[in-house]
Amino acid sequence: MTEITIPPIDWRVATQLCIIFGWASVLLIIALFVPRSRIRVVGYLAIAGLVVAAGAGIPFWGGSAETFGGMLRLDTYSMMLNWLFLAAAAVVIAYSLNYLPKHGIEHGEYYVLVLFATAGMMLLAQGGDLIVLFLGLELLSLTLYVLTGFAYPRETSEESGMKYLLTGAFAGGFIVFGIALIYGATGSLNLAAIGDTLARAALAAEDRTYLYAGAALIVTGFGYKIAMAPFHMWAPDVYEGAPTPVAAFLSVGSKAAGFAALVRFLVEAMGSQWPVWAPALATLAIATLLLGNIGALIQNNVKRMLAYSSVGHAGYMLLGVLAAGAPGGMAGQRGVEAVLLYLLAYMLTNLGAFGVLIALEQRGELTWDINQFAGLWARRPLLASAMAICLLSLAGVPPTAGFWGKFYVFTAAWQAGFGWLTIIGILTAAIAAFYYVRIVVQMFTAEPSRETPAETDPALRAGLVIAIAGILVLGFMPAPAIDLVQRSVLATVGGQ
Amino acid sequence: MLANYAFVGVFFVAAVIFPLIPIVAAYFLGPKRPTPTKLDTYECGLEAVGDIRVQFKVQYYLYALAFVIFDIEVVFLYPWAVAYGELGLFALIAMAVFLFSLVEALVYAWKKGALEWV
Amino acid sequence: MNTFITILFVVFAVYILVAAIMTVTVKNIVHAALWLISSFFTVGALYLLMEAEFIGVAQVLIYVGAVSILILFAIMLTRDLEGTQNRQMTPRWWIALIVPAALFGLLITPTVLTYQWQLPPPAPAGQSTPIAGAAQIGTAFVREYLLPFQVASVLLTVALIGAVVIAFEERERRRYVPTLAEKVRQQQRVRRPDPAASAMQSSETAGSET
Repeated sequence: MTEITIPPIDWRVATQLCIIFGWASVLLIIALFVPRSRIRVVGYLAIAGLVVAAGAGIPFWGGSAETFGGMLRLDTYSMMLNWLFLAAAAVVIAYSLNYLPKHGIEHGEYYVLVLFATAGMMLLAQGGDLIVLFLGLELLSLTLYVLTGFAYPRETSEESGMKYLLTGAFAGGFIVFGIALIYGATGSLNLAAIGDTLARAALAAEDRTYLYAGAALIVTGFGYKIAMAPFHMWAPDVYEGAPTPVAAFLSVGSKAAGFAALVRFLVEAMGSQWPVWAPALATLAIATLLLGNIGALIQNNVKRMLAYSSVGHAGYMLLGVLAAGAPGGMAGQRGVEAVLLYLLAYMLTNLGAFGVLIALEQRGELTWDINQFAGLWARRPLLASAMAICLLSLAGVPPTAGFWGKFYVFTAAWQAGFGWLTIIGILTAAIAAFYYVRIVVQMFTAEPSRETPAETDPALRAGLVIAIAGILVLGFMPAPAIDLVQRSVLATVGGQ
Repeated sequence: MLANYAFVGVFFVAAVIFPLIPIVAAYFLGPKRPTPTKLDTYECGLEAVGDIRVQFKVQYYLYALAFVIFDIEVVFLYPWAVAYGELGLFALIAMAVFLFSLVEALVYAWKKGALEWV
Repeated sequence: MNTFITILFVVFAVYILVAAIMTVTVKNIVHAALWLISSFFTVGALYLLMEAEFIGVAQVLIYVGAVSILILFAIMLTRDLEGTQNRQMTPRWWIALIVPAALFGLLITPTVLTYQWQLPPPAPAGQSTPIAGAAQIGTAFVREYLLPFQVASVLLTVALIGAVVIAFEERERRRYVPTLAEKVRQQQRVRRPDPAASAMQSSETAGSET
């Protein structure tokens, strides 16, 4: 019998993932033995785990490493994204601590599933191999289907869970098919290896067709996840029906993870094919910008409006992705930075906006009509100003986080030579400002047509304060955030 | 390798033909004199009541899902077991971690009461 | 031998196509499920024909063994299922036909244009790459594919948790689904009304449905 060597594993790369996976497994058992009345303890423990995982990453910041034969990476890009995911998950759990009992759906599994979803997102940010990306996506999607349908005696929740499952399973099928075609064309699943193969020599005509078809299928699959037009149709229905903290998690976490993987795939594996995919993706970006923002314009339901606006924001981030693939190191690096900064700003802002929605939501109250915001300033001035700050940040008004996100994305797209796309982006941003400001006007001037009581609790307030403070700090002092983002480089981009 | 499965194919063909012979034979040989009583559904000699399709309890579905999940686990176990002789201790640890996660899911479902019959 | 394999392949392939078309066209949903299962089984045979033994076994174990049971259970769980008269075709079925047909055309065209057509296909040259057997796959699970292997177990765990969360209704809020015997008894009671029994019945159902 020959001596078998244990595969060398660099545990530093997997530290955060292992903490989240392990803690989720432990919490699943703990949740079984915690009495029903004290189940929120599981939520506090979950937040503690997220904080520990975030802290565990600090010593490994800087440099890049990979393990499991290149399947798992740790570069500053993925570390930055990991922190974003962990923070978003912590805020979502804080939002849920009182939301769940208020709606009679308090179960320990909720927090465990949020942890598993976070692990899936981290796999998407760190994965260096198409199989790992697919598994991460499935882990994330599977948990989100369950979380979307979590309020299951409520029919809208069941319906949205079902819709999300059907479209999501379809998207998963696209991705597997695309992976198979790319493997057939290049003979590899590793992103870096695919990139090398493509950069070295041109493929045969047949293989090239399979490569492009496969890449198109993968972009389509991720397009569902990031709600890119024309694959965005599920978003408004699912956001509306899902429990509101889950909708917040969907809108920030799922989208950020989808973008993380999409950037890695397009830049690392398909970077040399940029002239081919850039025009196609640019068309999709225009469609996303227009459909998302015009769709939001005609909504009276605030939750649906936020869903359409998140489609529009995906369009702005796609501008960053386009720039990220641009040849000539500098423009590409600007694009990656732009996507990250935009994600950071968007995450803070959307979490804040959904937090205000949670405060306004009553059990059995499923309208989220724009009239509910009428005269909010007179009744709850703090809540109204929080919502106003979030909406102005979503609209990209200086000095908020959203402004710097848009500014950076437009600059990156302009530098990469997408002048006309930048102009369309600015025009749609002007359209978007209209529907955001409409709610602000409602809150500050209109008379309340009907009293909507608003309830906040310490955990929700803490989450809101974090989000709002983040928006304002990033808005007034963007330098530290931009500095952080500029150090976050894809390992291969930094190496070029 | 295909030859190993040839007899499976032969067996399969035989399995299809064998029940077909009596059915076809009965069709040609048997006299047909139907009466309403003969055409009635046979239910232990009693009069048949209600629809044959009733809604089953969702409990059945949980069992089916658990079955699928552990079936997939078997698909992972099988190649591992075939290769185990040359893999050594590390493979044992890797499989232990793999199984731990699934056993935990089973413990969860059990403690939750999802496996109790009602 | 090669001709024989080609004939087998054509038989299997035609059967898979027929079964798949029947699955999406027959009106009885149970028959549709049975057609689907038979096509799963034949796909397994096709894998064996390609000497991909492990995938063939996995196909039979998972699709024929487990997924088919899931599908049949899902049908049995469905409420108000007449079963025989469900229309599967929407008026715009041809749109659904065009899109996959276009995709298929896109994928098959380069093969058709560049492949050297020979029937039967030429025998593989001496040193063809052997297809990975179960032992090699097992080795790969604990070496280069260690991470996907472990993540797969977590994925299965999450699937079971999700099933319990979604499908398992805890006792206090379980919806009451009567068994066949109870249904029959109920119908008989309706025929011969007994005021005391029916009042009890209605209070029972009202209590259990909340």
